[in-house]
Amino acid sequence: MAAVAVHQFAECITCHAWSPDQSMVAFCPNNSEVHIYKLFGEKWEKMHVLSKHDQIVCGIDWSLKSNKLVTVSHDRNSYVWSQEGTEWVPTLVILRLNRAALCVQWSPKENKFAVGSGAKSICICYYEQENNWWVSKLIRKKHESSVTNVAWHPDNILLATTSTDGKCRVFSTYIKGVDSKESESSSSDLKFGEQIAQLDLSVTWAFGVRWSPSGSILAYAGHNSMIHFIDDVKSNPSAQSIPLRDLPLRDLLFLSDRVVVGVGFDCNPMIFTADDTGLWSFTKFLDQRKAAPSSSRGSQLSEAFGKLYGTSKQVPSNDTVEPSKPRGGAHENCITCIVPLWKRGNTTLCRFSTSGLDGKVVIWELDIPK
Amino acid sequence: MAAEEEYLEAEENLEAIITRIEHKSRKIETLLKQSKPVDALKTALEGSALKTRDERCKSANWIVVHRAVMAIKDVDGMISSLDPEYYDILMKYLYRGLATGDRPTCDQCLRIHEKLTEKAGLGCILRSLSDTVNTV
Repeated sequence: MAAVAVHQFAECITCHAWSPDQSMVAFCPNNSEVHIYKLFGEKWEKMHVLSKHDQIVCGIDWSLKSNKLVTVSHDRNSYVWSQEGTEWVPTLVILRLNRAALCVQWSPKENKFAVGSGAKSICICYYEQENNWWVSKLIRKKHESSVTNVAWHPDNILLATTSTDGKCRVFSTYIKGVDSKESESSSSDLKFGEQIAQLDLSVTWAFGVRWSPSGSILAYAGHNSMIHFIDDVKSNPSAQSIPLRDLPLRDLLFLSDRVVVGVGFDCNPMIFTADDTGLWSFTKFLDQRKAAPSSSRGSQLSEAFGKLYGTSKQVPSNDTVEPSKPRGGAHENCITCIVPLWKRGNTTLCRFSTSGLDGKVVIWELDIPK
Repeated sequence: MAAEEEYLEAEENLEAIITRIEHKSRKIETLLKQSKPVDALKTALEGSALKTRDERCKSANWIVVHRAVMAIKDVDGMISSLDPEYYDILMKYLYRGLATGDRPTCDQCLRIHEKLTEKAGLGCILRSLSDTVNTV
């Protein structure tokens, strides 16, 4: 019910992704490269270093069926990497951005990928067979600020985005020739770039948008330590906003339609569950901290606020409060990325991995009831 | 045109808000005379018009809340009997108090801040700092 494995790969990890068989992990160690490590028994070995980007690689996604890596970077470029033999061969995708790309995700059918950028736009890229290259179509309207996260709906057409303007939007990314017309519920909304919904629940930056596995619930986190759940976005949206006790979340993951894991500045994954009526609430922190004996959160806080409160209890007069004290958990710094690890044959997700600014990749396993 | 309309509508509402605050103020004085500082604070926090941009309303409400805050002697008891929905609003007012620089106010606000943070967590502080729409 906790961390299964902890791997220290670098000083700081920006983002990571797993190979389809979960034997290899690709991550960016806070520079312009992508490192791919493979697990041999107990040891990790660096297999490849992909270094085509000029600036930080801020988004990596590994497609599970077609085994392709897509990377996006602050240098406004994106590469699709395919493995040929022992080498990874890059294909440049011209995104036509004039600001950094911030996030990327393959669509469920893996025939498209979406890139969120600081240019207040999203790029939807698809493969054009005739010319053998990836074409990018931009959605320039609506966003008033950088797009921090993108999430594909299971139907491969709807895309949800969160932005630093505090809003979460849902767009249609229907592309003629790429998306077939079979699974449409309301054909009038299918135009490319059409905004289906705009949610204005957060007054602060929004991060970590995700759809539930069935596609009926949308969740995203606000930087004011709140998490929002929206049911039935398309026709009759009803929202629940839960204020968090502690620091904000940066990324989310749906383990099922009723369980969500949130990760962020608390360095500890948080579980949220919905009861039978659909009411969401915070359940618990995943990590069992080897906490200091008698002290609870109270002493931790009063230590941090010791100087402020003046009459502090045990803070010696000559020290300064250490900001990065190891708190005994798996992660020691902000967790920025959470990736699902599907077990073959399972329909419910119970394994996932997180990576953070402390350079660790931690694998978690959970027992989900029912 | 729309902005002007909004302004006029707000003007009428402002009078209503000020009246409500005066009403609250009298109620609070009564509660304080009856030695019920916790109820006084609850009354002060209730119905605070956070969305208005008018400085007079905000100042008027702040004076009322300040009066109630300064009368609190048992901080622990007050925090444990306060509804969680008021944590965020109280935190915002505490920061306004700390910003005044006035020694007795700051002392009291700091005392309450410590206990409130223990009870409500850092998320409460974050919400009070990052909320630019509902301000005190």
